[in-house]
Amino acid sequence: MKTFEEKWTAWLDGQLTGKELDDFEASLPDKAAAEAEKLEVQKLGTLLKRELGARSFSNEEFFSHQLRERIARETAQARDGAKSTWWTIPRLVWTGATSLALFLICAFVVLHGTKPVEQSEYLTQILNMRVDPAVSPNATISVFETTKQDRVTVIWTEGLQSLPSDYAAK
Amino acid sequence: MRLRWLLLTTFLALVMSAANPAPAAETVWSGLVIADNVPEPTAAPVELKKFEQTLRELFGYNHFNVIGESSKRLKTGEEDWLASSKYFSLRVDSRGETPAGYVLDLKLFKEKELLLETEAKLSKSSPLVIKGPQVGGGQLLLVLIVK
Repeated sequence: MKTFEEKWTAWLDGQLTGKELDDFEASLPDKAAAEAEKLEVQKLGTLLKRELGARSFSNEEFFSHQLRERIARETAQARDGAKSTWWTIPRLVWTGATSLALFLICAFVVLHGTKPVEQSEYLTQILNMRVDPAVSPNATISVFETTKQDRVTVIWTEGLQSLPSDYAAK
Repeated sequence: MRLRWLLLTTFLALVMSAANPAPAAETVWSGLVIADNVPEPTAAPVELKKFEQTLRELFGYNHFNVIGESSKRLKTGEEDWLASSKYFSLRVDSRGETPAGYVLDLKLFKEKELLLETEAKLSKSSPLVIKGPQVGGGQLLLVLIVK
């Protein structure tokens, strides 16, 4: 047994038919007012369908929309993530190689910079020298290095016995 | 991209090879040289070219004539050799290698008479010149160079 409210809702929606419709309309105290109210409800329904219809989605459309939104969001995040990571593998390799090259260049320059100091230690050194006093009793010996670029080490003797030009023979 | 890698590899190889030169056997040139003054001097021997001007300024001669020489390629650093002319001989006794060069015992003989004896560390970057006796109008010089 339907209540009055259920019958009223069904009547407004136009779902009552036959004897049930006749009985319900006969039970209305003011049929004209009810008809007016029914008209208003129908107008309101039409209005709501028109205004809200554009914004409402069917289930399929709503799912697709959500899916597209999520894909777009994740793609943007991935792109942002790639942009923020400057240290890609090729860049890492290049950076490493460049750093190594710079280090070697610096080491090379530093080593070359210290060479002149080392070179002075690497001049020819005279450890011992002697002139036979029996042959050249007045001989003296001194040692020096030239200051020129060729850095010749010279043992300078004085007082050796002079010899005739025949001794210049090959 | 490949060209870049090739250039980088070549560059690194050059740097590494320059930083670590491979040790190699070296040659010591020893010469008996008569320095004198002549009106038309001939070119100095190739071994003296690098420091000919220094020799000219030091000894005051314009002509350098090699009367005896020897080039010895040192492998063990403990070789002996002799550079000799008709009357002079320079006996060289190598007693070992140092990072800078070689330790040499030098003896200058006039025929069989020992005139001069020296022990020296001959550097690869510094030739050794010994002023010997006056010979006629010139001067005997003993020259040792690591080539």
